[in-house]
Amino acid sequence: MPHIDVELERLKTKLLEMWDLVEYQLQSGREAMLNADQELAKLIVKRDKKVNQYDLKIDRMCENFFALFTPVAVDLRMVLAVLKINANLERIGDTAEGIARFVQKLDSPVDSQLLELTQVLPMYEEALAMFAECRVAFISNDPKLAKALIKRDKMLNKIYRKSDAVATKFMQENPNKISEALAILSIIKKLERVGDQVTNIAEEIIFYREAKFVKHKQDKKKKKD
Amino acid sequence: MGKKTKLEAIDLDAYYGDFHALKSINIAMEEKAVTAFIGPSGCGKSTFLRTFNRMNDYIEGFRTEGQILIDNKDIYQKDVRVDELRKNVGMVFQKPNPFPKSIYENVVYGLKIQGVKKKSVLEEAAETSLRRAALWDEVKDKLHKSALALSGGQQQRLCIARALAISPSVLLMDEPASALDPISTAKVEELIYELKNDYTIVIVTHNMQQAGRVSDYTAFFYMGELVEFNKTKTMFTSPKDERTQNYITGRFG
Repeated sequence: MPHIDVELERLKTKLLEMWDLVEYQLQSGREAMLNADQELAKLIVKRDKKVNQYDLKIDRMCENFFALFTPVAVDLRMVLAVLKINANLERIGDTAEGIARFVQKLDSPVDSQLLELTQVLPMYEEALAMFAECRVAFISNDPKLAKALIKRDKMLNKIYRKSDAVATKFMQENPNKISEALAILSIIKKLERVGDQVTNIAEEIIFYREAKFVKHKQDKKKKKD
Repeated sequence: MGKKTKLEAIDLDAYYGDFHALKSINIAMEEKAVTAFIGPSGCGKSTFLRTFNRMNDYIEGFRTEGQILIDNKDIYQKDVRVDELRKNVGMVFQKPNPFPKSIYENVVYGLKIQGVKKKSVLEEAAETSLRRAALWDEVKDKLHKSALALSGGQQQRLCIARALAISPSVLLMDEPASALDPISTAKVEELIYELKNDYTIVIVTHNMQQAGRVSDYTAFFYMGELVEFNKTKTMFTSPKDERTQNYITGRFG
């Protein structure tokens, strides 16, 4: 294998390790939320430092790669994509940490009616599924799968948009559970961001494979409408 | 491209005896822009470069089919005088090749051959050319010293000054910086960047980064074929042909 490919493989491997860790963090966040598991929440917060270390390491590896290999064409796009995916993974890691911090405020498992009404669980499942499939799209160099993921973000947005009204109603009816409802509302907001970040990563995969910019295309469409 | 075409090849084939060196090349190069020719050794890029001032004419068995146009005129027509053509098309080679004469004599050599005798005209041409070649400040106090005493990088810029002295409109450069150290290379590249305001420049280079830095357009040649020709930015970010991609990313073969 040419030296440049060996280095690119190392970079990809490191990114995928980070990806696994962030996915684990996000899954753990779900478990912690469901069970109001303080210990697990604490662990998630602690493990975010490890995510940050990966972020720094990958940034440094990219910097070195630019300096030593002056990549062009597909190699250049690959490293640019890795840089941006890295930044998004780090943010998703922060999200998992943020969810854990909200869990730390919960005294008992979340009210099942609140879970049901807000649809936070299906939203969480979808965000996790999108995140996992995005990883598949990256590994298998599959821009089609990446494009399909971008469309799936709509479901998360839909739940997010309804959440304010749903939570308000719940709080009015259950004034003793306001802080719990606020925590779930914050988690929903964070999950909506995860959807956006997965979208960003999917856009980078398309850029890397097809040399096309797809980001901000939606904005242009909206303006035309 | 929008701008005027300066150099053009139409269905150009070139042969060294039985060897088919260039195969049906079609390309139109923009005026006052830098076009880089890249490709592995033996791909035909230097042969193609040299067709624009008919440098290959001296090689036994060399012949062309098709057309090479400069300002829409076919330079292989019988009525074209090669010495006139070369006044318009200057050339700089890989290794600096100053004459074993003074710096001044090197620069004005072409003009003297053309019959210019007036000292003031020659002196002015020497200064203008040396300034354009970004060498004036370094040599203005030793114009009558031997050109061979200059460093390699200075000698190369002297050769560029010599090419500019006869007021060409096209400058052909065959790996002009490959024998130079990084500082001299940077100076030559900077010079190319400035000269393109007034000249149409074609440069053959094996240095991908150099092609990226100095050229507006890049042409990739492989086994006598023009594989891809596009804006340099496009060539180095999203080349269309897989062979181009393999070459510029160093994975050829």
